[in-house]
Amino acid sequence: MAGSGSAHLRPRDEVLLRVEDLVVEFPAGRGRTVRAVSGVSFDLARGETLGIVGESGCGKSSAARALVQLPPPRSGSVRLDGLELTELRGEALRRTRRRLQMIFQDPISSLNPRRRVREIVGEGPRVWDLPGDRVDEVLEAVGLDPATAAVRRPHEFSGGQCQRISIARALILDPEVVICDEPVSALDVSVQAQILGLLEDLKDRYRLTLVFIAHDLAVVKNVSDRIMVMYLGKVCELAPSADLISRPAHPYTRALIASIPGGGLDLPPADQLISGEPPSPVSPPTGCRFRTRCPRAAARCAEEEPRIRRIGADHWLACHYPETPPAPA
Amino acid sequence: MIVLHRLIRLLVVLVVVTFLSFVLLNLLPGDPVTQILGLSATEEARAQLRQELGLDQPLLVRYLDWLGGLATGDFGTSYITRMPVGSELAERLPVTLELLVAAQVIALGLAIPVGVAAARRAGRALDQALTALSFALLSTPVFVLGVLLILVFAVTWQVVPATGWTPISLDLGWNLTSVILPAVTLGAGQLAVYARLLRTDLIATLQEDYITLARARGLSPRRILWRHALRPSAITLITAVGLNLGALIGGTVIIETLFGLPGVGRLIVDSIFSRDYLTVQGGVVLISVGYVVVNFTVDLVYAAVDPRIRRA
Amino acid sequence: MRRRQGLGFWLALGWIGLILLAALLADLLPFARYDETLAGPPQSGPSAAHPFGTDGLGRDVLSRVVYGARVSLGVGIGAVLLGLGIGAPLGILAGYRRKAADAVIMAVNDVAQAFPALVFALAVVAFAGANLRNVLIVLGVLGVPSWVRLIRGATLTFAEREFVLAARVLGTRDRRILWREIVPNVAVPAASYAFIGMAVVVVAEGSLAFLGLSVQAPTPTWGGLINEGRTLMETAPHVVLAPSIAMFLTVLSFNLVGDRLRSLTDVRESGLEPVRQAAPALPATTHPVRDVLLQVEDLRTHFVTPRGLVKAVDGVSFTLERGRTLAIVGESGSGKSMLIRSILGLLPGTSVRGGNVYLAGDDLTSYTAAEMRSVLGPRLGTVFQDPMTALNPVRTIGTQVMEPLRVHMSLTRRQARAEAAKLLASVGIPDPVRILRRYPHQLSGGMRQRVTIAMALSCRPDVLFADEPTTALDVTIQDQVLRLLHRQREERDMAVVLVSHDLSVVARWADEVIVMYAGKVVERGPAAEVFARPRMPYTEALLQAAPRLTDPVHHRLRVIPGRPPDLVDLPEGCAFRARCAYADERCEREAPPLFEDGHDRRRYACWHPRTQAQDGTAAAPSSDVTDVAEGAESGGR
Repeated sequence: MAGSGSAHLRPRDEVLLRVEDLVVEFPAGRGRTVRAVSGVSFDLARGETLGIVGESGCGKSSAARALVQLPPPRSGSVRLDGLELTELRGEALRRTRRRLQMIFQDPISSLNPRRRVREIVGEGPRVWDLPGDRVDEVLEAVGLDPATAAVRRPHEFSGGQCQRISIARALILDPEVVICDEPVSALDVSVQAQILGLLEDLKDRYRLTLVFIAHDLAVVKNVSDRIMVMYLGKVCELAPSADLISRPAHPYTRALIASIPGGGLDLPPADQLISGEPPSPVSPPTGCRFRTRCPRAAARCAEEEPRIRRIGADHWLACHYPETPPAPA
Repeated sequence: MIVLHRLIRLLVVLVVVTFLSFVLLNLLPGDPVTQILGLSATEEARAQLRQELGLDQPLLVRYLDWLGGLATGDFGTSYITRMPVGSELAERLPVTLELLVAAQVIALGLAIPVGVAAARRAGRALDQALTALSFALLSTPVFVLGVLLILVFAVTWQVVPATGWTPISLDLGWNLTSVILPAVTLGAGQLAVYARLLRTDLIATLQEDYITLARARGLSPRRILWRHALRPSAITLITAVGLNLGALIGGTVIIETLFGLPGVGRLIVDSIFSRDYLTVQGGVVLISVGYVVVNFTVDLVYAAVDPRIRRA
Repeated sequence: MRRRQGLGFWLALGWIGLILLAALLADLLPFARYDETLAGPPQSGPSAAHPFGTDGLGRDVLSRVVYGARVSLGVGIGAVLLGLGIGAPLGILAGYRRKAADAVIMAVNDVAQAFPALVFALAVVAFAGANLRNVLIVLGVLGVPSWVRLIRGATLTFAEREFVLAARVLGTRDRRILWREIVPNVAVPAASYAFIGMAVVVVAEGSLAFLGLSVQAPTPTWGGLINEGRTLMETAPHVVLAPSIAMFLTVLSFNLVGDRLRSLTDVRESGLEPVRQAAPALPATTHPVRDVLLQVEDLRTHFVTPRGLVKAVDGVSFTLERGRTLAIVGESGSGKSMLIRSILGLLPGTSVRGGNVYLAGDDLTSYTAAEMRSVLGPRLGTVFQDPMTALNPVRTIGTQVMEPLRVHMSLTRRQARAEAAKLLASVGIPDPVRILRRYPHQLSGGMRQRVTIAMALSCRPDVLFADEPTTALDVTIQDQVLRLLHRQREERDMAVVLVSHDLSVVARWADEVIVMYAGKVVERGPAAEVFARPRMPYTEALLQAAPRLTDPVHHRLRVIPGRPPDLVDLPEGCAFRARCAYADERCEREAPPLFEDGHDRRRYACWHPRTQAQDGTAAAPSSDVTDVAEGAESGGR
């Protein structure tokens, strides 16, 4: 698994965001390098939600930050509506920021404790010299009462309300793509359902394209049209959500689903599908990066990295020995 | 490898510090030649002395010359007293070191029990009293405290001499009576700083999960405090001790003046007043080396106390 | 949020204000000029004309102290402003820019720190002239390295926060980010350092003056006054005491204000932290003892917070037998973790516990601390949520695993080591002998959790308490750890109490379930029954709010409007009623008791329980209307 390739990308004129061969690396001290993302490609059509799922260290958050060029990726291409973001610097890059917004995991840490909600949400329009009169509108759109909420500071709100403020801050700029990096993983179940519902509503109302990153497959499935599974900086499998959950082909995807208690699916127990712990992204295994935990791994997996290939209508896989043989294309 | 890397870095710091101090001291107004010969000396006499002392050489040459001498242990010869600076410093150093060590022993010896006692009863009467007391100590300048202690112990009760120094080689008992008051004066502020640091860190540590879990395993409070909590709470304290020791080598000036102790600090002050550059410069080297050595040791102690640091 | 600063803070601020005012208005004050000799008889003690007495030359000491304050405060404030003016921009630059700028600034700073500061202050002042300007400049410049370090540190902590990243994503320019996002946050710690810095400078100036190296006579300075007074110590101690006390109070005040300001730095307090005040005691009780392993009867835990009394656990009862797993479910603030700590007697010092806990018939709530210690470990084992913080970072795995064996089972070092290796092997740790010599940070999260489980099991407990044991772990590791717990329960014939917020984990691994809300049990029973047919609307809503893999894509989850109740201000009646679609007047008036449903183990607390035949999804009220409700009450507290 954990393969490279871009066979799964759709024609350029059909997609809004196209990410090709993204590589993110950062120093780990003593001259070593963390290989956070190693050659990941994906794309998003306008109005689509792409879910990215994987465990800690799989590179999903690093990929999200590379999309907004904070920091820019080591190599690879990020095209927003044909515009190559990785080649832009300084003011030219700043000009594109309006179109690409982000929502973070920690609802408290992502809001400046010393500013009032009106200032936080109104920051975008002020930076862009837009009229600031939409603050009330977006606050209402995210389910907050502008009259009482706008003059308060973040610590006066609960985690769920803080996440609503973050969403309002992103929305007010009318972005085309919103990247949600674990937006609900710090929230309680009941609040999580509120935020997921809100994101779905806003997506329709503001015609958003979403990248939804989470470690919880059930949450990702709930909001995503397509799901991409990542492991140790590589893509394992990419398919429409229902398809991916009902017909997982990659051994890692299968293990992930089987590990969720009461997944209700016809899979063997997880301990037969996966063993051990993820290796360090500083020195990932050769060939397929999942092979050290894969019960199906063979000699070929250590030597040759699997390429992404098609196994169903829109079902893509990077594995030499998948459970289900690829359907004829 | 890492140790070597640090050593090289420290050496660089030392060279830069001595160079800067050399330049700075020379930039300051005041001239040793005038100091020695007086204002009435003739220009020839001045020029001759200048040449004799090597003061006619460019600054950089003089620095390199001095640095070369330093490498062989030669601190140069004082322009004013015509005495080797090295032996002068060597004579004074034991006094200052004894004062420093005694002060740290007093400060740490009291700070650990005080900090632990306060942290164990955080928020209660004892803690509040100890906190108030350490705040008061912290806010008393050494010369104020010194004066008060002299007033009480030397003037009123006359249990120790107000000033003067008996070397340890002469008489241990008298040596101790002459060091006790200065050491307490110097150590009091440190005691307050250390106790506060330890208290704060210990309170934080005592709220950690692993402490609660240690309680959940039925370990006694005493065992938890001394074996589980103290060591992880000591990091800031060790840093403070290191920084203080370094800074204090120069900071004994006041104490030595106040109590009339023949230490390095006193020597530096006297040399400053008499424009004795090379002696001041020698003192600067001594203090910087002290600072650097102490901090290097502190790094090693860190690694012994906290295994997480060993990797980095 | 306004917080009480305490009397000390205001007194200190008052003293600073007073002395500042006196120094400014010294010329207008009705006393002799500081240099007027023989204003009174020399060395006379305090009197009406000379409240602080006179010195050796008959000069008024009060006047001299007040004029001395000009120098002390002038240098103190001036030098701090100078140091701040140079140090703060450099510190912010180093902290925000990082990389090259940071490396250069910090390298220079390293050298500056090794520089013997006081010696230089002495040298510069001695050579360049002892006057106010030189002293101020020297002390100001010498403070720069500390300022750079402090401001850089403060900047770093905020520059890494996500709100700065968010600002950059918005397209905010660096300059604006610095001014709007960083500076306001750094300002509070900087103000705190400024006051402490003033204390340091006042002392330093005093030291220079004491050595005769500050502003020269006849202008009085505090350090100079103390030095002069020293010679009169035996005959006229007031001459030295007056400036000493003035200086002490001033330095103390600066320190105190700085210290209190630092406590303002943290704006993130919920107001629900326990305070040092005991809650009203709860009456001692006894209950009939039943023939079970663990019996909890009417357990209550109360503690006082700045906002009022919190009933974290409010009358919880249950029983548990060997070989069974009881799950305690609830959202944050429901009291589920507090319940575990309450059973184990691991509560914060000032909380108050009521009710009883019987372990095989023994009333643990009547045990002394020492007796309790003999139960914790040998009979009750504990595993916590975060394996990163559950192990002592400075002790080896071996020392930690061996400790309970040596303390409780009196094994020798050698025996304990052998037993520890066996334990680690039994929880699936490869190469246990090697791992014993390792430190926690050298292990992965999953391995650490296995170690904490091994420690909890080491003295063969009867009941294992696992508080969110897998919440911090990845899902594939979570599965491994839960399997391990289950297997150990079977092998050792233990009972397990599993605290979790994850309903799917509970459904898969628990035999029985307790659902908690606002400190109370709202539903309990066999896990399969509770999940298949929830009776309490909260349980039902919780089940429908959690996404499941089997749901269709874009399935609308049930939304529970509003948020968990404020524990300090619980409503009358049912705590859930404000969020409940079925609530009526009765729910407002009366808290529902735990009704029995069919058999003794199955209970619920609701006046309007869902009926057995009910299809949960169909009965769910429309969520659209209620969605904004949370926002509507956003005024909150």
